[in-house]
Amino acid sequence: MFAYYFELALRSLKRSRGLTLLMVLAIGFGVAASMTTYSVFRAVSGDPIPWKSSKLFVPQIDMWGPKARDPNGDPPDAMDYTDAMALMRAHRARYQSAMYQISPSVVPANASKHPINVSGHAVFSEFFPMVDVPFKYGAGWTADDDTQRSAVAVISSKLNDKLFGGQNSVGRTLDIEGKDYRVVGVTDHWNPQPRFFDVVNTGGFTDGAEDVFLPFNRAIDVGMPNNGNTNCNEVPKESGFVGLQHSSCVWMAYMVQLDDAAAVQAYREYLDGYARDQQKAGRFGWAPNNRLRDVPAWLDAEHVVPSDTKVSLLVALGLLVVCLVNTAGLLLAKFLRRSSEIGVRRALGAQRSAIYAQFLTEAGIVGLAGGVLGLLLTGVGVASVGWVMPKDIASLARLDVSLLAITLLVAVVATMLAGLYPTFRASRVQPAWQLKSN
Amino acid sequence: MKLHPMIAALRRHKAGVVLIALQIALTLAIVCNAVFIIGQRIERVNRPTGLVEDNLMLVTQSWVGAPSGDQPGDVEKLDSLLQADLAALRAMPDVESVVPINSLPLLNSSWTGSVALKPGSDLRAGNARSVYYFGDEHLLKTLGLKLVAGRGFTAADVRNRGFRDSGTPAVIIVTKALADKLYPKGDALGKAIYLDGGSSPSTIIGEVERLQAPSTGSWVNGFLWNATIEPFRLNANFSRYAIRTKPGRLQAVMHAVPDVLYGVSRMRVLDDDSVKSFAQIRQEAYRSDVGMAILMGVVCLILLGVTAAGIVGLTSFWVGQRHRQIGVRRALGARKIDILHYFQMENLLISGAGALIGLGLAIGLNMLLMKHFEMDRLPVLYVLAGIVAVMALGQGAVFAPARRASNVPPVVATRSA
Amino acid sequence: MLKMTHLSKVYRTEVVETYALRDFNIDVKEGEFVAVTGPSGSGKTTFLTIAGLLETFTGGQYHLDGIEVSQLDDNARSKIRNEKIGFIFQAFNLIPDLNVFDNVEVPLRYRGMKAPERKERIMGALERVGLASRAKHYPAELSGGQQQRVAIARALAGSPRLLLADEPTGNLDTQMARGVMELLEEIHREGATIVMVTHDPELAARAQRNVHIIDGQVVDLAEDPRFHAHVVEARQGQGRS
Repeated sequence: MFAYYFELALRSLKRSRGLTLLMVLAIGFGVAASMTTYSVFRAVSGDPIPWKSSKLFVPQIDMWGPKARDPNGDPPDAMDYTDAMALMRAHRARYQSAMYQISPSVVPANASKHPINVSGHAVFSEFFPMVDVPFKYGAGWTADDDTQRSAVAVISSKLNDKLFGGQNSVGRTLDIEGKDYRVVGVTDHWNPQPRFFDVVNTGGFTDGAEDVFLPFNRAIDVGMPNNGNTNCNEVPKESGFVGLQHSSCVWMAYMVQLDDAAAVQAYREYLDGYARDQQKAGRFGWAPNNRLRDVPAWLDAEHVVPSDTKVSLLVALGLLVVCLVNTAGLLLAKFLRRSSEIGVRRALGAQRSAIYAQFLTEAGIVGLAGGVLGLLLTGVGVASVGWVMPKDIASLARLDVSLLAITLLVAVVATMLAGLYPTFRASRVQPAWQLKSN
Repeated sequence: MKLHPMIAALRRHKAGVVLIALQIALTLAIVCNAVFIIGQRIERVNRPTGLVEDNLMLVTQSWVGAPSGDQPGDVEKLDSLLQADLAALRAMPDVESVVPINSLPLLNSSWTGSVALKPGSDLRAGNARSVYYFGDEHLLKTLGLKLVAGRGFTAADVRNRGFRDSGTPAVIIVTKALADKLYPKGDALGKAIYLDGGSSPSTIIGEVERLQAPSTGSWVNGFLWNATIEPFRLNANFSRYAIRTKPGRLQAVMHAVPDVLYGVSRMRVLDDDSVKSFAQIRQEAYRSDVGMAILMGVVCLILLGVTAAGIVGLTSFWVGQRHRQIGVRRALGARKIDILHYFQMENLLISGAGALIGLGLAIGLNMLLMKHFEMDRLPVLYVLAGIVAVMALGQGAVFAPARRASNVPPVVATRSA
Repeated sequence: MLKMTHLSKVYRTEVVETYALRDFNIDVKEGEFVAVTGPSGSGKTTFLTIAGLLETFTGGQYHLDGIEVSQLDDNARSKIRNEKIGFIFQAFNLIPDLNVFDNVEVPLRYRGMKAPERKERIMGALERVGLASRAKHYPAELSGGQQQRVAIARALAGSPRLLLADEPTGNLDTQMARGVMELLEEIHREGATIVMVTHDPELAARAQRNVHIIDGQVVDLAEDPRFHAHVVEARQGQGRS
């Protein structure tokens, strides 16, 4: 029977080409606008590490007190050196790492080439297993390297390509800021977006790369300055990078892995205990006000999804709704224009369900055609999203099979929803109506 | 023309009327807010920074293996590297002036603090928040800032200072906005103020008309025009140089700068992003604003197009349905213009009702956006303009089918249905 | 075949109740050819729409082929219309978007018939009405008489037991009307029950039995030869209804 309805629908749509085209265009544009903005939204609101994001936590300690809290009463969203090191020493989580953003220069072995700037992070050895950094060659350094402040480095495969021609460079040396480092690992392609482990310094989304990781203690030792944000509650009393370390300024990210609810609870208690100790010692003049958020909650609290992305999605969805209301109106006109046909069909024995099937099929075909047009336009939209969105975000939006499937599905389902009322009206056409021709 | 029979007639197409009115209402609500967003973004992008932006460029570079600044003598070593670069750049034939500077308006790198009328207040308290620019005696000239009171820096005012060191300048220049905030009577010149809760005073020796803060983020909105300029060369392992070129020589200088700097020292990093014209900085800073405006514009165009087409479609259907009725009216003496007016009036009624609902929706949507997305209140003017626009759109869309209706010949009345 | 007892149909509005049929009784036997006549507004068409299950009634009983239909739901009524009843409308009511073949096919489709059987029946029906060569034509390309013959073919294709015709020749000229009438008679001879509403006394005279409806009630004058004269007079007095 479906084939019959399909054929009837095609016939009917062909008969009023203008109206059909109008509906298809409306659906196509509406769906494409929604899907294009959705592709961006999806890209920026996704979970960067879905398999363990609920086990990774960002602790916040209130080292500045009530006057510096944000309107929600939250403490600073980054760590100062003193507290970060105290947490590292206590070592209460399964894995933990303090980290800060660095941007050292690397001098190529080939003297004819100019030095280049690379960006990355100074981290502890537990960082690598904690955030599941994939390795192409070698591995992260060991806890011993942390304590011994070894001159070792993990580099990205991109930097490895540039400096070592893509060969396994584990064991080779690298000149960073004029000092030699031994390569212990080369990461495989790894570019999590947003940069969940250091939202504060990257803003979440970044087109910068993680080209180099150095041992935290080593970087501090050689005075490699931080390249991210520094936020101070008071002017540091001492000068230089060492002065920054002794100050209450916050400039570091911190992440811990806690495997179960008990571990989370224990860590909360530890943080509160730590803050109380600081209070007793006179360093904090206020009660503990710590936070411990897992990655999704943290990304939400830091507002990593730009509000423009949300507004765009909202407006585009509004556009889709208008297109659907429009389609509902046109379908209503189109279906009721055929009241006489419906009356005859009913008289000839068509059941209501048959009328429903016939007209919903017609709506579905309009939706499908609109969806196909929408696919093309979404392709154009996603390709040109770089024009209208910041580069770091636009580059994340991509067309994949699931987006294509969603586009078609949304078009068909939405159009059939829009066709529901017109179809209902069509099915109510009385079979007797046409007999009263006088 | 009497409205009562028209409304009675519309009741017979209740669903169609409701749908088209709803569509007009939603269109109005979205278009008002989208156009408002466009207006705000355009206004944002068009606000002057206070700089003369033509022939202005910025170089950002870092030295390889430079001292960290923590050891004695480090800062002086860094300063000599900086001075060497400045000398080389100033010697370039097409360069008019150069200033070492920490940042520029629209650049996403800022240094903020607070200024107070009294010494030793809390860093976060103060009398006003302010952004800081650090540069030498060439700053005003290079950036093209307009001095409205007092004087600029002289070479004697300028000191050098480690990037992470604290230090209070004896003299400062502030923007007029900051001066007026601190001294509403307009007598800021010559007064001493205290920076970042410090205890040593800095005297205001000049006021510039306008200088925008770096960063276009919403967090600077409260002190966007509050800038303090300190006469320091900042010494770090990196440096920035703002360069004003001779008219029309911008591209040539941009092209020549890397070689000039490599000529001073090869041990430095200059990459693709190191040399930028101010136009590029502006473009990058406002990219998302321009993009948002374009996106909203596209959405508006599609919306208006779809709605107009919807009105044409539904009205055409109604005209077709009332074909015979129109013929009868014509036979009974209605003129063409009466039929035309009938459909125009009918549309006016529907879009009027839609606009009324849309007015509420527009304000509702605006409140939603204000609540969640830092939007401002939608001015009534936008809504009124929006109402006029959708009514005009309705009239434009209805014209073709209405004219077709008016062309129905009276003889139709004599034919059977 | 078709039996109505004490049947009534009331149209209600906010202010008045109008009886279209009142204590209406009729019994059409299997294989009969009945002509229904009556002045305009007498309830002829209401009778036919109720007989064809196009409309429900208010009171009384209606047995169609032995089934009491008042309790049937919409789907069951659709099924009976589809399988047992054939309709011939005054305005033909062909679907303009469909060609002759596809129009005849409509009731067969709803019966869920397989394609080969459908085709056989459609071509058979079209041959009966002499339009097999016009299968690919659209209604707009045919004359009124041809269109009505297509409508008859559509009614015949499903082999209905009961054929309901509403002024089948009302929109046709005399010559065409005669052709259609002959076709109906032929169908009747083959065993179908036919109920035809008409105001044409000549046509009515050719039926086996005449039923006259006045004010929603039946005046059965089947065997009364005076009736014809009466109708003719009435018609001359009223003109076309």
